[in-house]
Formats: sequence, structure tokens, C-alpha cells
Amino acid sequence: MSFLLRRLGFYLLAFWASITLNFLLPRLMPGDPVTRMLSRSQQRLEPQQVEALRTLMGVDGGPIIPEYFAYLGRILTGDFGMSISRFPTPVSEVIASQLPWTLLLGLTSLIIAVILGNLLGILAAWRRGGFLDSIAPPLLVFIGSFPYFWLAMGALYIFGINMGVAPMRHAFSVGLVPGFNLVFILDVAAHLILPALTIVLVSLGGWMLGMRNTMIATNSEDYILMAEAKGLRPHRIMLNYAARNAMLPSVTSMGMSIGFIVGGALLTEVVFAYPGVGYQLLGAVQGLDYPLMQGMFLTITAAVLIANFLVDLVYVRLDPRVRKG
Amino acid sequence: MIIKYLRRAHLAVAATAVAGTLALSGCVASNPGGTEGGNGSTSAAFLTIPREDMGTFSRNFNPFSPNAAPMTGQSIYESMLVYNPANGDTVPWLATDWSTGKDGKSLTFNLRDNVKFSDGTPLTSKDVKLSVELQKKLLGGFDYVKSIKTPDDSTVEFTFKKAFTPALYELGQQVIVPAHIWSKFKKPGNEENPKPVGTGPYTEVANFQAQSFELGKNPNYWQADKQKLGGIRMLAFAGNDGANLAAISGDVDWTQTYMPDIQTTYVDKDPEHRHFWFPTTGAEINWQLNTTKKDFSDVRVRKALSMAVDRDQVTKVGMSGYAKPADCTGLSNNYDKWRDTAVVEKCDWTKRDVEGAKKLLDEAGYKENAQGQRTTPAGKPFTFDISVGSSSTDWLSVANIIAQNLQDVGIKATVDSPDWASVTAGYETGEFDTGIVWTANAPTPYQYYLNLMGSQNVKPVGKQTFDNYHRFSDKKADELLNKFVSTSDEGEQKQIVNDLQARYSELAPVVPLFAGPEWGAYTTENFVGWPTEENPYATLSNRAPTTVLVLTSLEPAN
Repeated sequence: MSFLLRRLGFYLLAFWASITLNFLLPRLMPGDPVTRMLSRSQQRLEPQQVEALRTLMGVDGGPIIPEYFAYLGRILTGDFGMSISRFPTPVSEVIASQLPWTLLLGLTSLIIAVILGNLLGILAAWRRGGFLDSIAPPLLVFIGSFPYFWLAMGALYIFGINMGVAPMRHAFSVGLVPGFNLVFILDVAAHLILPALTIVLVSLGGWMLGMRNTMIATNSEDYILMAEAKGLRPHRIMLNYAARNAMLPSVTSMGMSIGFIVGGALLTEVVFAYPGVGYQLLGAVQGLDYPLMQGMFLTITAAVLIANFLVDLVYVRLDPRVRKG
Repeated sequence: MIIKYLRRAHLAVAATAVAGTLALSGCVASNPGGTEGGNGSTSAAFLTIPREDMGTFSRNFNPFSPNAAPMTGQSIYESMLVYNPANGDTVPWLATDWSTGKDGKSLTFNLRDNVKFSDGTPLTSKDVKLSVELQKKLLGGFDYVKSIKTPDDSTVEFTFKKAFTPALYELGQQVIVPAHIWSKFKKPGNEENPKPVGTGPYTEVANFQAQSFELGKNPNYWQADKQKLGGIRMLAFAGNDGANLAAISGDVDWTQTYMPDIQTTYVDKDPEHRHFWFPTTGAEINWQLNTTKKDFSDVRVRKALSMAVDRDQVTKVGMSGYAKPADCTGLSNNYDKWRDTAVVEKCDWTKRDVEGAKKLLDEAGYKENAQGQRTTPAGKPFTFDISVGSSSTDWLSVANIIAQNLQDVGIKATVDSPDWASVTAGYETGEFDTGIVWTANAPTPYQYYLNLMGSQNVKPVGKQTFDNYHRFSDKKADELLNKFVSTSDEGEQKQIVNDLQARYSELAPVVPLFAGPEWGAYTTENFVGWPTEENPYATLSNRAPTTVLVLTSLEPAN
């Protein structure tokens, strides 16, 4: 219990530090949002119109300390203000309308990659030097080393354009009204094929190698030898004993990855026109959209911290050596 | 074995994933999607248009917001008149006619009868008055307007502090919002306006998603016989490539993105239906020289640099042949009816003439040294930067071509290409050598020449300005510009603009490069009635004031 409380305290401190940095860093960037907006659209406005826009959007500038405390207060009530690059849509609405798609894509790809990668790693390590072990790691790492957008465009070209087996863009067929029905769910799943496939391909190598290496270390432990001597079936040893112990670093990595999913998959969104927060975040940074940047970074920070906290809890359950007293 | 593996924790994980997927799609599904906007087989089809700059859509239809959703100002709200740069016509729209006072200090619009907003309320002059006032309050501008009177429901009278003839287009193209709704907002600038009420042809928002939305017919539109589309469907993309791919696959009807080699990539895939038209009526693109620097303050140097540029190469290689080289008036083809052919015929400094350039540079004191490099009269090597934003690949090619051309006269120029925000910041404070820059493209050449030669927006180096970055002013040009705004006599205006062109050609305040094209491509597979070169009743832009002209002229094919 005290362990949990200490962890919680640490996470609260980390959270405070990150929201302070979240406030300071965007403001250290040179320039101001309104002229950036104008330069990007090459709009021609009179000087007084620029001033009017500044007042309208609330970026006239002011002393920074009161602004910081106002920002802290607003965070506690969940009010992130209005986005500048999407003025006057509130930041929470901008993020909330796109986050579900990012989460869907990210979680689907991550879970598939983790399960598949770990399975392959376990099998490869169990039969070291065998066919799977010789071919799979180098092949998957090779595929994963390609620049992601090249891989994505290649997949789009081969499967989408030439073979026509998968939808090429967007999250669901245009014109379909979203609803909790089978047609829509299958449509969403179909549109997930190409984006998720490319993300899985790129990350598979990492998961596989990690699991395989930990498994090899675990396989040399005495209790494995004992289990074999006792006559347990090989598959039971592989899964219930070796893999279960080798799984721990994978769990930690998975926790971290879950947190970063909310940062969005920018390149996937660009290549497959998949709605999500990644492109939005890029636009916010380029346009110096302070409120949206703050909202997004805060979401990412919170997600990473929560994911880490959950991983800590799960870890305690999985590894008795971590528990104290 | 696998089943055992899938037991316990991993089964739980897999189950969570599946449940999560279902829950998330339900979560997304619970978005207020509105009515069934499906593409019915019996009803008319939807006009599908891609939008490549937004990534996702936000439900913001506030016409006073700089980031309103697409089609807000084109299909939902309308204005009193529409200026068509493709043929120079002014089309009466919500106003049937207008008249200027004798001294140019007043402008009266007569509104059309029987125009209703989409909620059934009739359009009156009060709506016009409120719209102009809101625009002025929220976004600035209209400083010259002294008062707005509404003597009756269909007449609006504007009086100005001083004569300003371009006001006709500025006021005429202001979108009109319903006063009975907008006067009730406490902070109209902060309204998202999710269910907009306007006079336009397609106003009913349906099926609004992050990746697409639909606009259905306005039930009370004043030109019901011109509402032949089933509706408009906007698709979001994150970048040109996705939008172009959709166009090439035939999934969209009308696109306005730049497509390299459009003939082979797009048209040749279905030559019977697909067409493109890039009229060079966009803004003129100039190579501006910072005239606060000693070297560029000499007109001979400016003209010599202009003569060194090979505009044929610039337009053919840099702009893929889509642009048209500039002439000595510096006017784009938007202003063809203002162009003074006398100035064009006497033109000598916008054609490539390496010998002429060398002679002028020698004359101005910029001689070649022993290594063949030009030096300034002070003895330093004559080198400078050409600034351009890195994301504009076509202008980047143009800058590189210019740098190459300059080598032929012994000048070493370096292309400097950070992102556009830095480049523009440098332009605004006057801290740049030279750069590629866009220009104003208003209905009359007034703003264009004002920003090139007028003293109104000139600020010293270090102070931020949003116009006339090259900081050049001329008294005679100022006089001509003031005369232009105070007269509404067309003959006089034409004469003044002729004088402005002559003065421009004399002074060469910037180096004009080419008239920019307005991109536009379409397919007649689903809809016909598009504007073309032979019938330029509008441009092919789907985000310009002329868009509503296209929306009300299209009809289903077959």
C-alpha cells in the first residue's frame, strides 16, 4: 500500500513538472500565432486587422506569471481554452473529435504487434538456431528499418491501387453514417487494414527481438532445467514458465508505447488520410497554436503517466519480487 | 498450445482489445451525426470535393473566423455581388444593382426581393448593416465607412469619410449573416455556429465527421431552379498527395490542388471526362529586392537583375509550364482589361538580355573583377540571398533558376529556404536581401500598385509591416493612387491606371516574374456545366467568391 502511495506521489510530482514545461516551452518559440497564420495562408490584411485578430483570439500578450496561475486553474477545471489554428473551436472539442480514431488505430496496431511479436520471439528463442530463429529476426528488422512513409506508400500502391484489396483512405466509407452496427464496424475494420498493417510491420522486429533475447536468458535458468527433468511437456514449460518470466520487460515497453499512442501517427494520417491528432499536432506546432499545443502535450503526458502507473500496478501482480513486505 | 497461451492474461488482453475496438467505434458513432446523408440511388448525387490543408474538420461555420470550415463563405453564406477575375465581370447576386454618389463618398445597394435565409426569414438591409459592422468590429478593416443607413428593407446606403472606389468590391463581397441570430450573440467572434443559417444554395449540415461532412439543399433558396446538386460532400486530407490520389482514382469531382504533370497523371486516365484549366489570373509572383539596401535602391541595378532572369525557363521548368511570364506592367492576367498595350510594346527590361544587363550593371558602377565576379562600387563582391519558403517546391525551383541565371552576369546569389514563417518574419521587419513574394489580387489594380509603390504601408527596417515588404515609395505614384480612389468615372480610372503602369515600368520597384495560375481540375462523369477557357463564367477555385457561381451552374450529367 505504501508502495502504491509513494508511486502515486511521484507521478503527481512528474505531472506538475510536465505541465509547467508544457506552459513554458511553446512560449519560448520565436514569433506569434497570428502572423504565422497569416504567412501560411499568404493572406493580405491591414495592420489594424492583424491587431483585431490578436484581440479576438486573446494573444495580445501580457505578464506571464498571472497567465501561468490562470493556466493551472483552468487545467484543474479541464478548460483548455480555444484553439487558435481552429478558432473558435474549443481545444477539448478539437482533441475529443479526433482522439478516438487515433486510439483505435494505435491500440489495434500495438496489440497486434505485441502479441504477434512476442509469440514469434518466444518460438524463435525456444528453438534457437532453428529456421524461425535464423530468418525472422533479420528479416523483420530489415523491414522495420525502411522509412515508414516509404513502406506506407508502397503498401498503398501494391494493395490499394494495384490489387485493390483494401480501402485506400479515411477511417470509414464516405457517406456511411457511423452507428453501432455490424456494417459500420466491418467497414471501419476494413479501413484499418492498410494503416495498421504498415505500423505493425515496422514495429514487429523490435518486439520480436526483445522477447527473444529475454527468453534466451530465461531459458538458461536452473528452474527450466528442473522442469525439463521433471518431465513437463516442452510447450508447457515454454509458455507457463519461461515466457511468463521473460514477459516482464515487454510489459514495461508496452506500457510506454500505450502512452505515446495519443501523440498520433502523423505519417499514417498523411499517407492514408486517416483522421487523427498527429497532423493536428504538427499544424499546432507550426502555427504556434499555444492552447492546442498545451492541450495535446498535456494529453500525451497524462496518457504516458497513467500508462506507466498502470504498468507499475500490473508489474507488482506479475513479479512477486517487486512487492515489499 | 496456442489456446493455452491464449488463456489467462493474454486472453484478457485480446478480449479487451476487441471490446475496446467495438466500444471506440461506438464512441465515434455517438457523434451527433445528423440525418441520414447517404448517397441514395434515386436522389441526385453529391458533389465531392477534397480539402487537403486541414487533415480533419472541426464543426465551425463562423464566417468571421479565419479558420471556418470549407464552403462556409461559398455555399452557406453569400454576398451582394460576385467579381469574376476570369473575365472581369461583376455579377449582381444578393443586390440587383448599386450606385455611387457623385463625389465617390457614398454607395447605395438595392437588395434583391424574395431572398430568404435557410430558416425562412427574409433578407433585409438590416442584415447587411450588421454583417459589415461585425466584420469591422471583429476583424478590422472598413475604416473608411462613416455610416450605414437602411432607409427601407431593400436599400443599404454607405457613406464614406473619404472617396474610396474599391469599396464597391470590399463591401460587395462581404458575406451577409442573419441579423436576427447574430445580434443575439454576446461574443460573435467566439461562436462556433454549428447549425448555420445563411442564404446560400447548400446550407444544411449533415453527417459531420472528422473526415468528411455534407451540406444539403437550402429549403428556402432564392434560386431554387439552380439547386441541381443533391448536396456537397467535403473530404478531409492531410496534404496534397492524398487529395490528388483521390482525384486520380475518380473518387472526387472537383479539385483545386496543384498536380504535377496533370495531363498524364490525371487527365489521361479518363480523357473523355477529365479536364483541367489553369488560367493565369492568380496573383502576380514577384522577386522583391529590399530597396532599403544601397545596392537595390538603384533602378539600373533592379532593371539589370530583371534582364538577367530567363522567365521562359522559370515558367517552363520551375512552374511546369503552368505560369505566364510577366511583362513591364507587372500585372497578372486578372487585370487584362486594365493592361496598357503601349507600355507592353515599349517593354525592354522583362525579357532575358544578358548583354543589356551587363551593360546596365557596368553603367551603375558594378564592374566585373578579374575572376568574372561583379563587385559593388565600394569594391565588395556583389552577392546576396534569395529567400523563399521551403514548402513551396515550385517557387524553390524558381529561386534556383534565378540564381543560375545570375551567374551569367557574374553575380553569385544563394537561395535561402527556411520555413515560410521565418521568411515572412524577415520580410515583415525588412531584414532580408531579396525574396520570392506573392502580391495582392483584388478586383482592381489599386491594392496591387499601392503595395508596390505607395508610401502608405512603408515602415522603417525593424518595424513590422504586412505590405510593401521591399519598402519602396514614390510620390508620383501616391498622387495617382489617391486620384484613383476618388474618381468613379471609368474612363478616368483607366487613364490613371495607364499612368500607374508607365510609372511602374519606369521605376521597376520589384522584378515581376510570372502571373500565377489558379489551379482547378474536374471530371464530367457526374456533373456538367463547369467553367472553361471558352466559357469563363467563374474560375475553377472551390474556395473563392466565384465558387457559388459554379455551384449554381452545375447539373447532373445525363
